[in-house]
Amino acid sequence: MACVSTDVVVLDAAVDDTRTINRALRALPDGARARIEHARGRHNLAVGLHHPVTVDVVGNAGYYCGALGERATVRVDGSVGWCAGENLMSGSVTVRGHAGQSTGASAHGGLVVVHGDAGARTAISLKGGRVAVAGSIGHAGAFMAQAGVLLVGGDAGDGLGDSLYEATVFVAGRIASLGADARVEDLTDDDVAVAVALADEAGFDHIDATSLTKVTSARSLYRFDALAAQRY
Amino acid sequence: MCGIAGLLITDPDQRPQLGALLAPIFEAMTPRGPDSAGLALYGDGVEVHKQVGPATKLTADMALADRGGTCGIAHTRMATESAVTTEGCHPFMAGDDVGLVHNGSFSNYATVRRDLAATGVSFDSDNDSEVCCRLLAEQLAAGAGLAEALGSVPDRMDGFYTLLVATPSEMAILRDPAGCKPAVVAEGSGWVAVASEYHALSELPGIDEAHVFEPAPLEVHTWRA
Repeated sequence: MACVSTDVVVLDAAVDDTRTINRALRALPDGARARIEHARGRHNLAVGLHHPVTVDVVGNAGYYCGALGERATVRVDGSVGWCAGENLMSGSVTVRGHAGQSTGASAHGGLVVVHGDAGARTAISLKGGRVAVAGSIGHAGAFMAQAGVLLVGGDAGDGLGDSLYEATVFVAGRIASLGADARVEDLTDDDVAVAVALADEAGFDHIDATSLTKVTSARSLYRFDALAAQRY
Repeated sequence: MCGIAGLLITDPDQRPQLGALLAPIFEAMTPRGPDSAGLALYGDGVEVHKQVGPATKLTADMALADRGGTCGIAHTRMATESAVTTEGCHPFMAGDDVGLVHNGSFSNYATVRRDLAATGVSFDSDNDSEVCCRLLAEQLAAGAGLAEALGSVPDRMDGFYTLLVATPSEMAILRDPAGCKPAVVAEGSGWVAVASEYHALSELPGIDEAHVFEPAPLEVHTWRA
């Protein structure tokens, strides 16, 4: 179980199962700090935290790290598997290494930061959260993203922004291809301010916010086209 | 869901440890596929072990940890396309020594099976993955290299897949066009390891110094023994 070293609660994934660890995290008082050691790719670490605590994960984490979080701060000093910060409500999940696919999927709020690369489907179905990736992302980034911001410091894979709703995507590098109904728009001063603030908050210093490519929805899929069938 | 695991030892000094290093990777994939387990072990020839039940039973029954070799590919099965029987276990073998483990499902395997059967290919099971293995073996027999043969699978087979293939000299991996099924590769000093999920590799000696990555969709990776 948890042992207290100075003011940090230390949990050992080599000793405790995932439920024991997550229960111990939920029992922490507001403002507490905890460290999970020997994560070794364990799934579901620091999931469902609903109060302001700070959790440091030592090593690589598995799937759903920091998912469903609200007000908590989760930091991973290694890489993570699929769905880090999935359905985040507020607070943040920060990954020092790389992230697998579906990072920040369906996040309603909060901030997901990846300092390396992220895989396919980054920010899929984003619902108001912000996702910042220092490196590149895989295919189908921001697929069906409804609200929020995805910032990519490197390149984006095929099908970026397919079926976008009202989320905004900024890419510093190359875009392999845009998905259906995604289009490039001119950057406004407000966009630059949003990107600068997000990059600053994420701790990225390699992005020139004035030369980003902005991708949004062309909104051609928004309404049912009653005449479409007549074209066949 | 199924689990795959593989280990290729490139450093001859480490080959006696093949089984000891592969067993925990294999066993860690049990939650992804508790129905049955199987393993192809390459060393002096190739031997295949498969049985219904969890990977831990198979590794204990064959004392895998005591076995050396150059390469092993293993599978933990959650059955979808054919019955939970020994015949439906992976790995599937074709030709003399081509082994395949598959996480996923093929949607058009019956069509490809009919095409192969029409050319005289016979099958041991009703399993979709065996069709892919026979397809690979046919192409290798026709002179294709392993990378070329594996890279052409998406031209014939529809579905979701991570395929891990071994021959006595090589191991190779391919993920489907959507990257639907997972795979994590670790290239270490003297070895290359593959698993469906990273945690299975996390206890390997030297993992912290290894090059760990998820293969991109349709990217064929091959490694020589």
